[in-house]
Amino acid sequence: MDTKTRDDLLKLFQSKLDEAMRLYLEQCTRCGLCTEACHAYASMGQIRYIAAYRHEIVRRIYKRYFKGRGKVWPSVGEAKELSEMALEELYEAAYSCTGCRRCMMYCPFGIDTQMLMSIAKLLLVGAHAEPEILTMLADTSIEKGKSLDLFKESFLVGIKKLEAEVVKKWRIEAGETAIPVDVEGADLLYVALAGAHSIVPAAAVFNAAGENWTLSFFEAVNFGAFVGDPTKTKLILDRIINEAKRLKVKEVCICECGTAYRVMKQLSGKQPFEVSAITEAHARYLREGRIKLDKSKFKKKPITYHDPCQIARNGGVIDEARYVLQHLTDDFREMSPDPRYNWCCGGGGGLVALGEDTLDFRMKSAKVKVDQVQETGAKILATACENCHAQLNDLNDHYEMGVDVQYLSSMVADALVQ
Amino acid sequence: VEIVYYIVLVPMVYLACAIFVVGTLIRLVKIILEPRHPTTLQIYPEKRPRWLWALHDTFLFPTVIRHKPVFWVVLMLFHIVFLLLIIGHIELIAEIKVFQVIPHEVFLGKGFVGLILCLAVLYFLLRRLVSPYRDLSVPEDYYLLILLFLTFIFGSQMDWARRWYGYDSLSVDAYREYLSSLLSLRPYVSSDLIATGHSFMLLLHVFFANLFLMFFPFSDFMHSVLSLPMNKLKRG
Repeated sequence: MDTKTRDDLLKLFQSKLDEAMRLYLEQCTRCGLCTEACHAYASMGQIRYIAAYRHEIVRRIYKRYFKGRGKVWPSVGEAKELSEMALEELYEAAYSCTGCRRCMMYCPFGIDTQMLMSIAKLLLVGAHAEPEILTMLADTSIEKGKSLDLFKESFLVGIKKLEAEVVKKWRIEAGETAIPVDVEGADLLYVALAGAHSIVPAAAVFNAAGENWTLSFFEAVNFGAFVGDPTKTKLILDRIINEAKRLKVKEVCICECGTAYRVMKQLSGKQPFEVSAITEAHARYLREGRIKLDKSKFKKKPITYHDPCQIARNGGVIDEARYVLQHLTDDFREMSPDPRYNWCCGGGGGLVALGEDTLDFRMKSAKVKVDQVQETGAKILATACENCHAQLNDLNDHYEMGVDVQYLSSMVADALVQ
Repeated sequence: VEIVYYIVLVPMVYLACAIFVVGTLIRLVKIILEPRHPTTLQIYPEKRPRWLWALHDTFLFPTVIRHKPVFWVVLMLFHIVFLLLIIGHIELIAEIKVFQVIPHEVFLGKGFVGLILCLAVLYFLLRRLVSPYRDLSVPEDYYLLILLFLTFIFGSQMDWARRWYGYDSLSVDAYREYLSSLLSLRPYVSSDLIATGHSFMLLLHVFFANLFLMFFPFSDFMHSVLSLPMNKLKRG
């Protein structure tokens, strides 16, 4: 690696250093308590998947270039040069970590592995060594934000086609729109994903609850966050923030997408609107008696629920999902006695988006998740995140689990009582 | 030989204390001056008051007891006894009434403070020789534990000698005279201190303790200070 490239990468490293990051980088006693925390280690037993081992790959470079000790006496902390080989190690560490933050529940100091991996990801972006597909997807999202007018027309045509399906789930009064778009003064802006499955059931429930809502032009998913590029993450996020401000909505409701929810909830800063996950909105409608659900819809099928890491442990939406499930079944089976310790599905951090490339690793590394689901004896495996859903489906096929993987929001829509 | 004793027992102690205090402060200030992270890094469900839970996480090691109960027992014992060790040393400077709420002979612990510390450090050290802890450890981890062990073993020797072998040529008063003279910046090393059979133990103990203080700000010993702000981040 030439000096210029290294200097540029170290500048990127420097840009990530704030108070929290310094603490995470400077303090690890390598006590190894995090050993059993990672699903990849628990499933595959390889030392490179232990959180502290991943940390050290980033920390060694930090020690070498940002700490006096690493310059004076590098071997004592195994400080390491930033080289091509180091980049390969960074790739291996970052793209085998789903950012689920389960290891924070083991670390006596609460070191955030996802934060440290975000340095690895940024260095990979800087060295053009990141998974290209994630950058391309992020760029497409940003482009869409810049030239909304170009795709507006085709988007509206596509949405129009979905309206009949919405009405099938929930009848609306003549003159009402099944999927309102671009409504200024709406109370709630719903940010969906590309695909009918993310729009139709949600629309039916909003209509059933009598919500004054409007659909966002943009998809919720933030590929900038997956690839660990803070600039792109912000640009993708800003499209939605600007739309919400333009329409003067009071609430931005994020579809079943863990990353999108956490980024919007925690990174959008102080805004004139509230941020909610669709599960929260559904729980609210039930609590206020605005929708009613028919439990017989899922009779004789025990249900378990997979807490998406970014929504539950890292986002705080935990009880709401249980509240909704209470209205869907009398046979709910909790997966983990403490949702903070729920195993990750193994698909986060962009791994599912990388598709076939990561399939083998995703299947092997999530064996513990499969065991956890099977122990419940449930027939329906509900979840509230697109990534988790895709990964759980893959696991279901691969391990022949014989469960029905469902979106929680779709189950709500299917059980609506007219 | 006397000059070696003098250097280790006086100027090196001052230097070590200076490095310890200034180094720790500089390291803390450097971290505090960094900008705050723009988003929360907490784990849910949150519990309030957050600062109280952060204290709970810092001082009771709940994640350790949950996942490694045996390790927790040793860890807890080590840290509690370390606290007693500090109190014991303060009592070697001067008589402090507050500490005598539970009446005891100085040095407190009847020799077991040092014994527990030595055994605990040996446990920490041996633990790191086994996979996966061996694969995670870096040389620093071993060096620091060895340094602690050396400091403890020579310190304990002096305590054990008086307690268990009935060898009491170095009295509490001799230590008090020496340590309080250091504190009042009028260092005085009496011949009692450097001419008895146990003086060599004292020399080695103070030498390694000086190294401990000097390395403290630049090493993972800093976890004693950094643990609280880190656990606070986790609690939000």
